Amino acid sequence: MRQALRAEWTKTRTVSGPLWLLLGTVALTVALSACACSVVSCGSAGCGDMTRLSLVGVQLGQAPVVVLAVLVVAGEYGTGMIRTTLTAMPRRATVLAVKAVTLTGIVAAAGTVAVLGSLASGRLLLPGRAFMAAPGHPPLSPTEGPTLRAALGSVLYLTLIALLSLGVATVVRDSAAGIGIVLGLLYLLPVVSATIGDPHWQRLLQRIGPMDAGLAVQATTDIHSLPIGPWPGLGVTAGWATAALLTGGLTLRIRDT
Amino acid sequence: MGRSRVASTATGPEPGAAYNRRHESISNSRLTAVSAPGIVVAGLHKRYGATLALDGMSFSVRPGVVTGFVGPNGAGKSTTMRVILGLDAVAEGTALIEGKPYRSLRHPLNHVGSLLDASALHPGRSGRNHLLWLAHSQGLAARRVDQVLERTGLAPAARRKAGGYSLGMRQRLGIAAALLGDPPVVMLDEPFNGMDPDGIIWMRGFLRSLAAEGRAVLVSSHLMSEVQDTADHLVVVGRGRAVADAGVAELIAAVSGNRVNLRTTAGTAATRVLTQAGATVTRAGGRDTLVVSGLPADRIVTLLGESAVPFSEVSAHRAGLEEVYLELTRDAVEFRAMTPTEAAR
Repeated sequence: MRQALRAEWTKTRTVSGPLWLLLGTVALTVALSACACSVVSCGSAGCGDMTRLSLVGVQLGQAPVVVLAVLVVAGEYGTGMIRTTLTAMPRRATVLAVKAVTLTGIVAAAGTVAVLGSLASGRLLLPGRAFMAAPGHPPLSPTEGPTLRAALGSVLYLTLIALLSLGVATVVRDSAAGIGIVLGLLYLLPVVSATIGDPHWQRLLQRIGPMDAGLAVQATTDIHSLPIGPWPGLGVTAGWATAALLTGGLTLRIRDT
Repeated sequence: MGRSRVASTATGPEPGAAYNRRHESISNSRLTAVSAPGIVVAGLHKRYGATLALDGMSFSVRPGVVTGFVGPNGAGKSTTMRVILGLDAVAEGTALIEGKPYRSLRHPLNHVGSLLDASALHPGRSGRNHLLWLAHSQGLAARRVDQVLERTGLAPAARRKAGGYSLGMRQRLGIAAALLGDPPVVMLDEPFNGMDPDGIIWMRGFLRSLAAEGRAVLVSSHLMSEVQDTADHLVVVGRGRAVADAGVAELIAAVSGNRVNLRTTAGTAATRVLTQAGATVTRAGGRDTLVVSGLPADRIVTLLGESAVPFSEVSAHRAGLEEVYLELTRDAVEFRAMTPTEAAR
């Protein structure tokens, strides 16, 4: 397992794709967060959840994470290198496990940078939007209770999206299909739930959608009015990731390559 | 071609004798512990939908010999190799590497080096880094990577991106990967593909040197001409199974039969005389050449002399391997030289 992990790490660092995609995640996350923080306008009563606002970039920054995670396995199917991989490491569970561990490590690292950058941009930009004038709005700090949870949760969210993508890609074995399915699941489900008139179904979709539910972890105000609580929400995303990885592991074990 | 005729013609040198001598000579150096053959494939059956891909594929690959694995495209060569490597599952049968299934090997590259598809690599990774991750997966040091790069002549291009390699260079990279773990068994699928004449000559010498080091070498090809100068032993496949599993010499002898080439300008007269004596005479490629079966050469000489039929040459007919191959794969009949144990009975 240690040797397999080292091999996977060597694989990851000897091509340029992963690094660029991780940099893309950081750039997109911070950029969208900064944009949102600089255009928001608030009344004197404040304007809701500053932490969530300054972490909104995660919604965009997850896209390169999806691409990266899908390519980690589907890219190997594309070139046929998966056969070389499985020939060198015949234990399927080991192959998937080291990919998951490596992916978790690099996405968590990039995610941490992205989240801290977003919070920093919020801290810099929001006072200019007359936020701080309102009482009860201390400057954003990643060490303060709910913000810490939101920041940590966002990093975990990104790694769970990576694992979900890895699992899906292992099942479908095709880069385009894998990226399409995961991005559709993330971005189309909220659109569908927004167009549904029935509030019951709408709330249900918001509770089970991997993005809507998972990003509940970013909320720091009005938690009780959310469709799902912060940690249970992240738990839903974890459920998606687990299901995808298990299905991926099973197909890897039983199907020919 | 019936099985009985094959058995009677495949006597000559005992099939296992050459191998045994060779094996004794190398057993002191490298493979002292090897007693089980490198690869043993037994009764593989596999179906893709309606197509029967493997239909009782059985053969073994022994150390110290280059075994050619030949057959038309679609005969099941690549499928068999994937099954040996644990990539494809079979409905029935077993494929063992030194007595163990591939998936149970802890550091498989130390047991079998294989090359299935030379283009199966990330185009953005350098050749050296491709070997490096493989080495790391087996707990091997980077030093080993440089050794195999030297041996395959790829060292000058090692730090370039593999996407820019020619097919011949990719073949060499794939072979470098196969040699990483210094394995006793080497298995290459169509290694001659995409190689220029220099590369083909290099590959032939290289395969022979691997066998001379005591390794079991299995090389597939859909062209007999590619392996005929390299292989000592041939497994000919057709329609998902081995239709022949014998030494090159035995195979040629078996297909040649007891046929005799007769060169004569008096073809009609010779045919009449020999047919009366019970022989079967056919006209061969050359204008003046007849192929006679059913009579030994000395009897033919006597008969023609008695009847005063002129002739310039009488020689044993030697089938070319291409001819052997075509005959075997056309009929897809079971053909097997006696194994040493069968011969002992």
